[in-house]
Amino acid sequence: MTFLLRLLRLCADSLSIPLLAPVKHRALVRMLVQREIASRTSGTALGRLWPLLQPALQILGFWFLFAVVYDMRNVRGPGFAQYMLLSMLPWLCFSEVLVRATGLFREFSPLFTRSRFPLEVLPTMALVMPMLVYTPVLVLTAMWLLGLVAALKAVVVIPLLLVWTLPLVLLCAVAGLFVRDFGQALPFVLTLLMYLTPILYFPDMLPAGMRIWLWLNPMSDWMLLIHAWLNGGVLPLESVARLLALWLLLLVPCWLWFRRTELHVRELL
Amino acid sequence: MVDIGFGNKVISLIGVGKSYRSYTRDIDRALEILTGKVRHYQYDALQPLSLQVAKGEVIGVVGKNGAGKSTLLKLLAGTLQPSSGQLEINGRVSAILELGASFHPEMTGHDNVYLTCAIQGLSRQETAAAYEAIVNFAGIGEFMQRPVKTYSSGMVMRLAFAIATHVDPDILIIDEALSVGDGVFARRSFDRIMEFRQAGKTIFFCSHSLYQVEALCDRVLWLDGGRVRAEGAPAKVITAYGDFLQQESAIVQPPLVTATATATAEAEAEAASTANTVATPVAAQAVPRVMAVKVRVDGTEARVHAVQSGKSRIEVEVRFLSVAALPVPSVGLVILGGDGRYVASMGTVNDGIALRAGADLTGSVMVTLPDFPLLKGCYVIEVYLLCEQGLHIYERVRQVAELNVEQRGLELGIVTLPHQWQVL
Repeated sequence: MTFLLRLLRLCADSLSIPLLAPVKHRALVRMLVQREIASRTSGTALGRLWPLLQPALQILGFWFLFAVVYDMRNVRGPGFAQYMLLSMLPWLCFSEVLVRATGLFREFSPLFTRSRFPLEVLPTMALVMPMLVYTPVLVLTAMWLLGLVAALKAVVVIPLLLVWTLPLVLLCAVAGLFVRDFGQALPFVLTLLMYLTPILYFPDMLPAGMRIWLWLNPMSDWMLLIHAWLNGGVLPLESVARLLALWLLLLVPCWLWFRRTELHVRELL
Repeated sequence: MVDIGFGNKVISLIGVGKSYRSYTRDIDRALEILTGKVRHYQYDALQPLSLQVAKGEVIGVVGKNGAGKSTLLKLLAGTLQPSSGQLEINGRVSAILELGASFHPEMTGHDNVYLTCAIQGLSRQETAAAYEAIVNFAGIGEFMQRPVKTYSSGMVMRLAFAIATHVDPDILIIDEALSVGDGVFARRSFDRIMEFRQAGKTIFFCSHSLYQVEALCDRVLWLDGGRVRAEGAPAKVITAYGDFLQQESAIVQPPLVTATATATAEAEAEAASTANTVATPVAAQAVPRVMAVKVRVDGTEARVHAVQSGKSRIEVEVRFLSVAALPVPSVGLVILGGDGRYVASMGTVNDGIALRAGADLTGSVMVTLPDFPLLKGCYVIEVYLLCEQGLHIYERVRQVAELNVEQRGLELGIVTLPHQWQVL
């Protein structure tokens, strides 16, 4: 009985503490975002436009490559460039968050080793800036490619994806701290995962023998979900259920691992 | 915030200890967290310690470097977590440990105030309410909209100190410095901490200045090698700690005489031109300062004196410049032995002497030591100009004179005590 109560308490904490941290520490999160913007844009002529311009220019580059140079509209139909761009933006956001998470403790160590800094805010800090950057870019891209309704729907895509990414952020933050090789290997792993996710191709273009990857890879579910949502199609409930189950399954152990690390990080860094 | 529910106690440590873990490989740490299997070696920075601190108490912490003082302060400040025991704090803690550590150089002073206050747990409204007072205290109003990277180190310290002491803490943790900055701000920061004391705030004060610890604290904790060596009334603990330090220094510390002799040779050349005026550079700040110190032995003024034990009359005259906005300062004098130990000291506050300053704000005081009672040896005189309470040091003038004492008799020790023989 006691074990069950403790487990329930742990589950409740795993859900509430990291998810409510941005609300509880909103003044701090706000100032840390300002701090990050100042770090990234100080001394530049375009200032605060840069964080938004970077993914927007990246997307323009992809559009130029696939729609103009490779002329994929004629090869794979007019919807391909649109599909690729609307898949690529959430992927870029997802991969940026995970890569940053591997260095999260080291990035904020000057604050939490010298002041009474709430560590539960750290996962939020890995998520909030990409959310502020990629949401408007995705909204504008959806507006450009699909129109106003899709643009309005696009507002929730990045925040939902990032909330789902939270357990992976916790995992990467701890792994990146203790296993330096993890931070080195992750970009390569993410590149591989990108090729295994239907971003640069339609899902039905994958050879039949390899379709199992689509089922095993949760990011494929995300791509299905995003396109169904933005295009007004029927939401794939199986994908929703699978993503939700995976999220719940990962969140508790990842949060527990993160919390257990707290004692160590203040000594280690 | 933890409600510890034991009356007016604000800090409770029950068996609180801190050990640092050492791992052969980084991954061992991750595996230990995952599996729970111990894979580390550990060393204890702080042995289990129990302590209850009541609201309004001023606790002094003394000990040599590596004794565990900083670890204890960091545990209280919340920047470290205890490895064992139960630590409960009832109230907001503000620590003057690493001032300005949370500042970001690219952000303005204004934004750094809000950032630091947010880390302390203050809402924007609470910060906004304190902002004006912080800026006024720091005295850098015109710089608040500029990036902190353009500030001088003194300005950073002033702003950080202003924030630390304006977030309305219930518990203030001070590592070493009772005042920060120099000149006027040093005095203001000292007064600010005294206000906390008078307002009944709890203060944890760690310092190597035993005089200040004894003068300010209600209770003193002496740490040695991570253990509590003694705890109790300041006079008792500080005396025991002072004895311990003297025993240690007798073993390890090189005698001061050599350094003094070298310094004296250099100083003598300088003395010819300065005629016993103060050699210490004085910042052009609006704080009281020493203008001149004259040391006369049997009416002869010099920097190096030959003194006859039990016969010579020594006069030390200190001329100072007061400041209209501040109370007239006090003066202290210390005689150090050749090994650097304090042999004797005297101060106007302790002796109940109130100094006066004239219309030109200057004043003088002279202390006379008739029939100089110290036995043979080399001694050095230091002069202090202090605040009216005798706590905050405005200026310290080192080696104002060197006394080479000779004696005719064969007495042992360092001092001849007033005594009478009676043949019965």
